[in-house]
Amino acid sequence: MKLSKSLNKSPGGTVSGRWLVLAVVRALVVIFCVMTAVFFIIRIVPGDPAKMILGEYSTPEAIANMRHTLGLDLPLWEQFFRFVKTLFTQGDTGNSIIAGTSTRELIAERAPVTLLLIGMACVLAVLVALLLAVLAATRKDKLADHLIRVIPTITLGMPVFWVGLLLILLFSVRLHWFPVGGIGEGWTGTLYSLTLPAITVAFSQIPTLVRSLRAQMLEVLESDFVVTLKAAGIPSRVILFKHVLRNSALPTLMLLGVNISYLIGGTLVVEQVFGIKGIGSLLFSSIAKRDFPVIQGIALYCAVSVVIISLLIEIISWWLDPRTRGKQ
Amino acid sequence: MKRFQTSVRKSIWVGTLAVLLLVLIAGCSGNKNAPAANKDAQQNANQEKNQSANTGKPAVGGTFVYGRPASVNSLDLHNQITANNAFAIDKVFEPLVAFDSKGEIVDWLAKSHSISDDGLTYTFVLRDGLKFSNGTDVTADDAVFSLQRHLNVGGPLAIAAKVDTIKAEDSHTLVITLKESYTPFISELSNFSNGILPNNFGGVSEEEFFKKPVGTGPFVVEQWDPAGDLTFAKNPYYWQEGKPYIDKLVYKLIEDDSQAINQLKAGEIDGIESLALQNAEEIKNGADTTVVTNGSWVTEQLFFNTLDQHFSDVHVRRALALAIDREGLTKALTFGYAQTANSLLPTAIPYHSNDTIKVLNFDLNAAKEELAKSAFPDGFTTKLLVASGNSTRAQEAQIIQAAGKEIGINIEIESIELATFRERFFAYDFSAMLNSGQADSPDANSIIAFQTDPEGFSKSYWTHYTNDEVTKLLHEGQKTADGEGRAKVYSDLLQIVAEEVPYIPLYYPDILKGVRSSVNSFVVLPNGSVRFEEVHVKQ
Repeated sequence: MKLSKSLNKSPGGTVSGRWLVLAVVRALVVIFCVMTAVFFIIRIVPGDPAKMILGEYSTPEAIANMRHTLGLDLPLWEQFFRFVKTLFTQGDTGNSIIAGTSTRELIAERAPVTLLLIGMACVLAVLVALLLAVLAATRKDKLADHLIRVIPTITLGMPVFWVGLLLILLFSVRLHWFPVGGIGEGWTGTLYSLTLPAITVAFSQIPTLVRSLRAQMLEVLESDFVVTLKAAGIPSRVILFKHVLRNSALPTLMLLGVNISYLIGGTLVVEQVFGIKGIGSLLFSSIAKRDFPVIQGIALYCAVSVVIISLLIEIISWWLDPRTRGKQ
Repeated sequence: MKRFQTSVRKSIWVGTLAVLLLVLIAGCSGNKNAPAANKDAQQNANQEKNQSANTGKPAVGGTFVYGRPASVNSLDLHNQITANNAFAIDKVFEPLVAFDSKGEIVDWLAKSHSISDDGLTYTFVLRDGLKFSNGTDVTADDAVFSLQRHLNVGGPLAIAAKVDTIKAEDSHTLVITLKESYTPFISELSNFSNGILPNNFGGVSEEEFFKKPVGTGPFVVEQWDPAGDLTFAKNPYYWQEGKPYIDKLVYKLIEDDSQAINQLKAGEIDGIESLALQNAEEIKNGADTTVVTNGSWVTEQLFFNTLDQHFSDVHVRRALALAIDREGLTKALTFGYAQTANSLLPTAIPYHSNDTIKVLNFDLNAAKEELAKSAFPDGFTTKLLVASGNSTRAQEAQIIQAAGKEIGINIEIESIELATFRERFFAYDFSAMLNSGQADSPDANSIIAFQTDPEGFSKSYWTHYTNDEVTKLLHEGQKTADGEGRAKVYSDLLQIVAEEVPYIPLYYPDILKGVRSSVNSFVVLPNGSVRFEEVHVKQ
């Protein structure tokens, strides 16, 4: 919303360089705040990375040496200064304490699976939401409409990991239709093994999408131009798919974009439930091992993705939807 | 009207589908009890087959996928102690002597060994034709180099004996002399950390060597992700002819317990390393799964910080020991897979003295009397530290809390994440905590030294318990040769500890592994490791 206000300041209503810079600066500030918070929070929590590397029964001397090597014996402000310096000079959070390799490499290795999972979940969520919303909107106030509105609201209260476990029990352990966890080999294997996790993630997105899309469609269905089209004798199927859906889909896609942080969060949890070696499982194991650079790295990339996507959504909606422009 | 009917029909369809889905989901959580009797018999047979030597001709080939909760992050045998690394190291390196599934010492790379009467000279004769996994011969020089490196490195399982010399008498004979006798030495040599590696790391740097180590073990590292899976291939030069039976062994990292159990049930993996007590029945009664168990070297205990204002008072510790019904607690929490503990020494280890020592058994009146003798006759409030994520321990804590309440000790349970928990107890930042002690070798000294030596690295398992008589007996036990004399020393020592209760031994949990029913000769060692060279899978 704030971005929209700044967009308004632009002369002539076009996206000018000035507030694009402003928007980027603000995004950077947000990212920096997130990083600072993460830096201090993980250091407030007890648990020593040196001990995690050397094991429980290491000698105090060995631990002291390791702390020195890792720079953990420096004052907090100095550690923070080093961290910020690496962040700006290398665009990275340093090397993983446990694996020794660069955080960026570790994340790059795991990211494709996570991105694929998010992508599949989005596609699934949109397809199912579309189907349900069309059903609900065309049967407004009928039983189907009520069911479609009520059932997803109930499922909204189910924790994501629990839904995942139920799906595993039914479709993997009982029916053997899908693998319990991990990722299969090759493209088809990967897509196949990511199906249940994608359904799980999509499950949490569908209710809000259905609600939004249904409302949008009803609004369009009742608008003057649809009435005119009907009067002109255009078949209702054509009206629905060519005009109504096209006009209603955009706000829903925008909503999906706004929900991206929930989507990323949900994906990370689901990865753990399905034993998928993506960013989520990397994050969980890094937290358990107190691998500070990796935790910070994942936080950085998640924050950057969320900020960039939100930025894009605002710009796109501003470009595409004249109503948004008018309201400013 | 017609429109209404259509929508109703569709709604009924949707409703029916929803109900069907719910029924299916509910069906999943139900127990499959039907063929119980038959299956029990079959499982007992399976289990016996698993525990005993297999008489039939074992199936050769195939891959065994083993689900483990932590990845292998180092294979340097002299620097490691935790199970995640140790149970991979022992597949690659082997010691001169080893222990069997009953914890008895057996010759391994040595075909024989002898100890001089004064207990100072140890002579080992290597097996003939021993080769490393790269095809080179194993000589006594390799053993000298390996043990010497362990002495230099020290490490968490350092050789505690005062070693004078380690010499190769000829290419097959190794002689170790000690400065003073140390009875646990032979047992400690059976640790994975005393495995034999090639002299001078076979000519490569230390760092390179431990990335792709060469040993005499049944397996060689084929592919290894320190933060993920590890794949072993069969060692073609393994000295036990025909073994291992399987071609490949995969250590698959599965951090989530329920994920591991589901993968086992679905047949995606062949075994799981870490099976919690509460999941044992489910796996035992599974259609295609079974449980393999063995007595362990583990003792679950309630530890007191003897520097704490309340628990420095022996009467307080005794009072709590008397207030806890250990037998009831064991029954309630361990599903029959544990024995109530009388001492810190598990029954699987010689000299455990469980039948002879007098322990403070459940007696509420005696507990109240004991507390009355303490500096806090009216009770007090304290905290019990527990690592989160372990449901058995969480229940244990609640039972102990209830027991404390009976005598006026108000125990607040502090459940914290594992890394923080360790940080706290290593820093003595606790009043009481729940944890377990585990022996590393089948000698009584291993766990006794770790839990009673205030000068040792663990400061009596971070309880700081100090008793000069106990320390004296501890050192005596290390020097006394095996036999009745040594039994008496440890019995006396354990009796003192039982009276002063720096920790309350609760139970000895069995080691549990879940495997597919098609798995044979899965031999579990009492330290929790598995001899995979014996394993074969029905194709």
